[in-house]
Amino acid sequence: MTDRGEMSDIHIDALQEIGNIGLGNAATAFAGLLNKKVDMSVPKACFLELEQVLPLLGGLEEVVSCVNLGVEGDVPATVMFIFTEQSTYRIVDMLMGQEAGSTVAMDALAESAVMEVGNVLAGSFMNAIAGMTGLTMNSSVPMFAFDMMGAILSSSLIASGCWDDRVLVIETVFFQEQEQEQEQDQIKGHFFLLPETGAVGRLFEALGLPAGS
Amino acid sequence: MGKRILIVDDAAFMRMMIKNIITKNGYEVIGEAENGRVAVELYKQHKPDLVTMDITMPEMNGIEGVKAIRGIDPDASIIMCSAMGQQAMVMEAIQAGAKDFVVKPFQQDRILQAIERVLTRAGQQ
Repeated sequence: MTDRGEMSDIHIDALQEIGNIGLGNAATAFAGLLNKKVDMSVPKACFLELEQVLPLLGGLEEVVSCVNLGVEGDVPATVMFIFTEQSTYRIVDMLMGQEAGSTVAMDALAESAVMEVGNVLAGSFMNAIAGMTGLTMNSSVPMFAFDMMGAILSSSLIASGCWDDRVLVIETVFFQEQEQEQEQDQIKGHFFLLPETGAVGRLFEALGLPAGS
Repeated sequence: MGKRILIVDDAAFMRMMIKNIITKNGYEVIGEAENGRVAVELYKQHKPDLVTMDITMPEMNGIEGVKAIRGIDPDASIIMCSAMGQQAMVMEAIQAGAKDFVVKPFQQDRILQAIERVLTRAGQQ
């Protein structure tokens, strides 16, 4: 695990651009699934302490859904999509072609729908990066959790093997802006890429950058 | 009589979506499988005219599923339908015996055209 001080600006820049390209493709796929325009914020790549990740997403007790996938191949990593509770219900409504507000709880079909969103978005992200670098990146079967933030993050991070003082994250927010829609009707999702130790070096090499320390 | 199709995907939601698209267009869904292993069993039981096959699934993935089904029936018509669209993956699927590869998310027309094309060619053999 490289330390913040050892990862140069150019590496952070490269990670952010990778995030930008990969997530741009994912946002396009998301729009395809929802049949609505989806935007994203400029991705941010940085090392975060676990405690710093939580405030990004609301709070320990906020209920969120999390789709968690393993990346296998040349860049082993964990990918996580996190949606607020309301955004999750909104996604289900849109995918099922239901009126907004129809979904108020998660059942097996609703979970399956959100997992598939995560699957498609992760696939899109990986296809884009793989296409760009020539590396192989395949996803595992997704896992789903709908729980309080604190519980989800700690168990996901432990399962991913990234339970360390600091984790490298590439973070963006998906949002869907419609003039008529209220704030609470917007879909907001966070994406995290948590590479395993050494995986990032492979990525840099494939981009023609020095591997970093 | 409508052509008979087996849908294979670990996501219940995706199976439902594909089923809706194809039944509205005159095809009959004779079964749904959540992984490659179940797909093989249902294939043996029902001998569908065509299979739509996801790749990332537990127990037996789609590539293994294609190989297994083609092992039973070398003429099996299988269309891959997956979020994994990288060239290496597409090549692997085609080499295993898949007749087409649809990347998710897909437009309705894309999957319908793929099914139509594969079934037409199969009918000409």
